[in-house]
Amino acid sequence: MALLSSTIKQALRAEYGQKLSERRESFNLTKAQLDAVINAIDGWIDANAASFNSAIPQPQRGLLTAAQKADLFFRVALARFGG
Amino acid sequence: MASGDTLIVFTPYANEPPSASYATLDTRNAHPVLDFDGSADEEAVFTGILPRNYAGGGLTVYLHVMFTSATTGSAYWQAAIERMDDGTLDLDADSFAAFQGAAGNPNGTSGVMTLVTITFTTGAQMDSLAAGEAFRLKIRRDADGTAGTDDVTTDAELVAVEIKET
Repeated sequence: MALLSSTIKQALRAEYGQKLSERRESFNLTKAQLDAVINAIDGWIDANAASFNSAIPQPQRGLLTAAQKADLFFRVALARFGG
Repeated sequence: MASGDTLIVFTPYANEPPSASYATLDTRNAHPVLDFDGSADEEAVFTGILPRNYAGGGLTVYLHVMFTSATTGSAYWQAAIERMDDGTLDLDADSFAAFQGAAGNPNGTSGVMTLVTITFTTGAQMDSLAAGEAFRLKIRRDADGTAGTDDVTTDAELVAVEIKET
């Protein structure tokens, strides 16, 4: 799976900035620092996608779409870390 | 009018937003503010008349701003003036003079305002605006950092604008 394009990553950064602003949540990363975080997460997902997929038991692994697996990953991570 | 005296004050409800990329009206603890995005440039526009007692000097625009989330970093602000002289300017098109700009750093306490100072020399920078003439003042946060460093990821909030004679 290819890494996210710079356009998508910039949109992600903008969306996250708006979300933080709406919540008036304290946040002091610069744009460049946030870009580096997004790049690192994108890279980690790319490097570990196969491992993540293998962790899902069969036959569920074969029945779920990639988007469904990503959605579940997102929800479990948010539930674990209180997002 | 002496140098240093206040000429005019604008607050968020006086904003005449452009058709796109406009700062959005919001409140913070019941204070009206205009939210300027952290990623895309956004603008606010105010119309006024330069007071008759203006003595012909340069202008200093003070922006009183807060930041929703940031207590460090640097934001870049710009201002431009459009002289709307009677009998000359066709208001069907914009004719702002060049932007002047300045940085504004978030206060260490969110909710405490920062004063951003943008200066205009008399003449072309202020579109040759004269006493008694109508004008528009455009305020922009240069969030994409085209003209100056803006590394604050989140929103800035404009509380009030003062124009004084420099």
